[in-house]
Parts: sequence; C-alpha cells; structure tokens
Amino acid sequence: MSKGDKILDAKNIVMDFHSKGVTVHAVGDVSFSVNEGETMGIVGESGCGKTTLGRCIVRAYEPTGGQVMYTTSEGELIDFLKIDKKTMKQYRKEIQMIFQDPYSSLDPRMTVLDIIKEPLLANFPDMKKEEMEKRVMDIAAKVGLNTTYLKRYPHAFSGGQRQRIGIARALVLNPRIIVCDESVSALDVSIQAQVINLLHELQKEFGLTYLFISHDLSVVEYISDRVGVMYLGKMVEFAPTKKLFSHPMHPYTESLLSAVPVADPTKQMERIPLEGEIPNPANPPTGCYFHTRCRYCTERCSKEAPEYKELEPEHFVACHRAQELKLKGFDYDD
Amino acid sequence: MEQDVKKTVPDHDETIIEVRDLRINIKVDEGTLTAVRGVNFEIKKGETLGLVGESGCGKSLTSKAILGINDKKCKASGEIIFDADGLGRVNLLELDPRGKEIRSVRGKQISMIFQEPMVAFSPMYTIGDQINEATRLHITKDKKKSKEISLDVMKKVGIANAEKRYNQYPHEFSGGMLQRALIAMALVCNPKLLIADEPTTALDVTIQAQILEIMKELQKDFGMSILFITHDLGVVAGMCDRVAVMYLGKVVETGTAADIYANPQHPYTQGLLGSVHKIGTKNQDKLFSIEGTVPVAMNLPAGCGFYERCGKRIEGVCNVSEPELVDTGCGHKIACFACTGCPNAKKEGKANE
Repeated sequence: MSKGDKILDAKNIVMDFHSKGVTVHAVGDVSFSVNEGETMGIVGESGCGKTTLGRCIVRAYEPTGGQVMYTTSEGELIDFLKIDKKTMKQYRKEIQMIFQDPYSSLDPRMTVLDIIKEPLLANFPDMKKEEMEKRVMDIAAKVGLNTTYLKRYPHAFSGGQRQRIGIARALVLNPRIIVCDESVSALDVSIQAQVINLLHELQKEFGLTYLFISHDLSVVEYISDRVGVMYLGKMVEFAPTKKLFSHPMHPYTESLLSAVPVADPTKQMERIPLEGEIPNPANPPTGCYFHTRCRYCTERCSKEAPEYKELEPEHFVACHRAQELKLKGFDYDD
Repeated sequence: MEQDVKKTVPDHDETIIEVRDLRINIKVDEGTLTAVRGVNFEIKKGETLGLVGESGCGKSLTSKAILGINDKKCKASGEIIFDADGLGRVNLLELDPRGKEIRSVRGKQISMIFQEPMVAFSPMYTIGDQINEATRLHITKDKKKSKEISLDVMKKVGIANAEKRYNQYPHEFSGGMLQRALIAMALVCNPKLLIADEPTTALDVTIQAQILEIMKELQKDFGMSILFITHDLGVVAGMCDRVAVMYLGKVVETGTAADIYANPQHPYTQGLLGSVHKIGTKNQDKLFSIEGTVPVAMNLPAGCGFYERCGKRIEGVCNVSEPELVDTGCGHKIACFACTGCPNAKKEGKANE
C-alpha cells in the first residue's frame, strides 16, 4: 500500500454509555476515513465526543456499533471491531496513542527508560534486553530527550520533556497510526511549538498517520490535512483544512471559527455568538442537534435530522441549509 | 447598586495602581526561589493591562501580591501603590495581610477572578450565598437588600433564571455559567480594579468568547480597570489596551497592544508571538520555537534571564549584567541589550529607572 491510500475507514460508529438507567449517546453514527501519511484533525467543544471517538478507533472502548476498517501494511482489510482481543493485540502495535496530560499519563514509580520500554516488553517478550535498550535509546534521542537522564523518574522532567517521553513510548513499537488526544493542549506556547515541530518531523521521517484530536483550532489548522468538526456526538462537517477554515458550510463551524482568538489586535473577527450551552447528550434535541443554538434555524431543522453527505467534492456537511447559506470563514493570504 | 464607590474616584490622578520593583522570594527546601525579580507596571483608570507569560514566570504571584493573598512562605518587597478609598494612596505591601485596612480593599476595591471556577467556589454553599458573602461584608447587612444586589449582578453577567440559579449549588452549574457567577461575585462591590487570572483558560472557545464579551461590556458599565493575566496571546490581542510580557520574574517588554503585536522587540516576545500559528497565514514548514526551557529561578547566574535561550545574545554583554526596562520614547519599554528600539519611537531613549 502506498501513501495516500485509505488506512483507516470508520463507518457509522456508535458509542452509547449507560449510567443509572440513562443512556448517553456519546458518539452517534460517525463516519470518516483517514489516508496513510496524512493528519486528520478532529475539533469540537468539550463533551462533543471527540475523545470517545478516538478511543473507539483504537478499541479502548467497545463501540456499540459500526465498523473500523483498517488496511494492514500487506493491503489486507480488517475490521477492528470484529476481531477478538488476542488478534487485536497484534494490531495495537500499529496504532498507538499520545495523551493529553503529560503528568498523569506517566507512572511516577517507573524510570523513563522503563516507561518507554514497557510496550516492547508487552509485545516482544522474546526480544533481548540489550536490543530493547538500544531501541529505547534510539527513539529517545529521536524525540530530543537527553539519553543520559533516562534512568531518572518522570518528576525530574518538565512538561514538554514529559510529552516527549509519551511520544517516545508511542513510537517505540514503530506504529503506523498515532492517535494524539489533546497532545499539546497542556503545554506552554513556546513548548507547544517545539512538540508540534517534533510531531511534524517524525511524520515525515516515519510516514506516520495522525489522528489529531484537539479543541485548539489554530493548532489543528496548522497540523491537519483534513478536519472534522464534531457537535454533540455527531460529525457535522468534514473537509480539507483550508476549505473548512475559509468556506465553512455548517453554522456551528462558522461560530466556532469566529470564536477563535486571533493573535493580532488589528485582525479581530466579528464574533458570531452561540447562545446557551451545549445540550445534554442524554437528552439531545429533536431534529438537527444544533438547531437550539443555530441562528439560521428553520422549522424543518427542529423536526428533521439533516443527512451527513458530500455536498462538494471531499466536503461533507450535515445541514439542511448548507448550500443556500453563505457562511464566513477565515481569509487566506493566498 | 450602591453608587457611592464610583463617585469617590479621584480625578487628579489617572493611575489606579502602580507596582514598583516588586520582588517575591519563596523559601523552599533547596534554597530560595527568586520568583518575581523586580516587576514594574501601572494601570490607568478604565484600562486593561494584559500580563502575559508562560507558566512559572511569576504572573500569578504578582497578582496575588496585590491582594496580599500569597502563601506565608512568599516574602514580597517593593511597592504596590493603590489609590484606595478611605485610605488614600497606600502601599498595599505594608498593610497587615490580616488587618482591617487590606480587608476594606480586598474583595471590595480590588477583586479577583480565578482560573478554575470549579475550585473557586465552595461546594457546600449555594451560589447565591457565596455571592452574598461579599455583598454583606462590604455593602449592606440587610438580607433582603443584599439579595437584591446579588441578583442584579447575576443578571448583568448573563445568568438566565437568576432567581432559580441563586439557590442552586455549584455542581448544578456548567463551567461557563460558573465562571459568570464568579465574575458576578467579583463585581458585586463595584471594584476599581479587577484581577482576572486566566479567567477563560479552562473554558471552550465558544464559551470563552461569551465570557470575554461580557467582561468587555461590564468594564464599560462599571468603568473599572482590569489586570488580565493569561498565556494566550490571542485572548490578549482582543482584550487588552496595553501588554506587559513577563519572563522569569521580570517584565521584559511592555507597550500598547498594537505596538507589541506589530513591533515586538524583545527576542522572547518575538519568539512567543512566532510560536503561535495564525489561521489563514501560509503554513511555514516549521513553527518558530524558542529552544530550551525556562530555568528554575534559583541561584540564577548574572546577566539576562533569557540569555541561554536567546538567538540574539551578545556574549560578554548579556551574560554580564541584567538589562533594565528602558523606555524607547513612545511608551514602549524593552529590557534587552540587543534591541535597537521601537521603530515608532523618537530617538531619545531615556532610562526608566
């Protein structure tokens, strides 16, 4: 398989959580695909289901329904959700995660060396100790960690360094896909830039595919090739980055873009305020989930749920009025 | 609302608060942290000053020093001159942190909004009770009247169903609503200065936009000054009149927001602005990033605190003595030996200190 082919094809993913007799539809019928070597961004507010979606993809959760079709390096098609746990383990090597909080995602009682080595121990128990350590050293150096400090514990490292440890741990198995769940959100801006640059370099070097989940739209715009916008467990819009940011077709995307703080006092955008709060996913509104907060809402929107479909090439939208509305996005330089 | 506070605002001096050479040392097991190392700034009436910097640069300590609510381990020196009603111009640092005078200032004339609304409220009391606490302490002992005042402010910050919300507990509020309630609590006494410490960092962008909008409106209504502390350069651009950039316990550059964003001079400010990607600009292959990390503020070597990470450092100059904050002539002040000055400034750079 070559660069640009579909590596992951998620179809109609549904994830319901049950708690105290209430069913929460965290992810409702989401479909998207990711191509090899690209970065796909997923944005949305907290509680929109973006993390749950990421976890469904790696099968950290057992989705209620749907398919996650994965193309192996041999070109074989496998449904992650159909295979048993043992077989899944074999593929887990190829799809790894980097987490948000560099403080709580590392075991404080393990040395950094052991933390990075752990995935190797779990997946290649027969590997020689020297070989393992050499691999750990190589990866640690790649992500910019000083290898003389690897015998230290995580507390001795700064936030940015810890995130590098998390990246090294994900990379040590030579994965093909990495799910980055808010991986740079907890870092200071200057450190954030360092880590983003690192992710970029690693992608080029190893041909990695990223699923980049974040609420930070500037970061997502910078790093992603294509972006999906989620609202209340549903994908409402999905398009190539520039298209989505310059010509959004869903009113929610428009509001989201207008709320992004721009680091230039002379270029302040007109805000399109969203009224109210995100509805309770246990009791979502009828019709279009967004109609309660949408300023373009019509009667139809409150009754009939819009279909998520490809309105322009590669531009998927779920809105009844997507084609008639002229929505505002960012102006691009070129 | 009681209007007496507003009337007594003196008109002879526009400056509301002036921080001069503020230093804060913290005793820890390993030695002494020089967390704040000589901070200078002033805030004028009705203006918003953005205090920007990365974690650990001392911005929160500075703001807490103003209210005298830092930990006992923190020893502050310098001057914080505040034009207090009933006290005149006082150095807040000289007041007893548990005394009567500071209490007439804290929460009434200067109030604060914290980063995490979930932590700032006590889960044991209703929102109404907690807003009322300030009202009863500073405005009126009358229960009915204070409730009226509190409800009024709750409505002003955009809490729908204020009567019902008044009797609810913090866990019944969403993050955004709770932040509104916190703002209501801070504004109920009509303060002259509002300190907002990362007020929107924990919120989603859409909610953040709502809260910032409300803060701007309320600032117009109440005529207060705001000290806005954040690490988010995007938020600063939309909110602040002037900006002070802090690094390692010092203000390294300060000026009007327009000036700082258009002509950042200090290498740190340039780095900070460069590492934020602006949507719509052409994707550079690499984001600009500042090498290395912030050093620990203990036993710092002589010279500029940014020396190790600076791309413009001059050996033999920058690592020998520490640059002072110097006015380039147009109010744009920079603490850097390698900077030639603000292009807007007339060429009469005069020392500030």
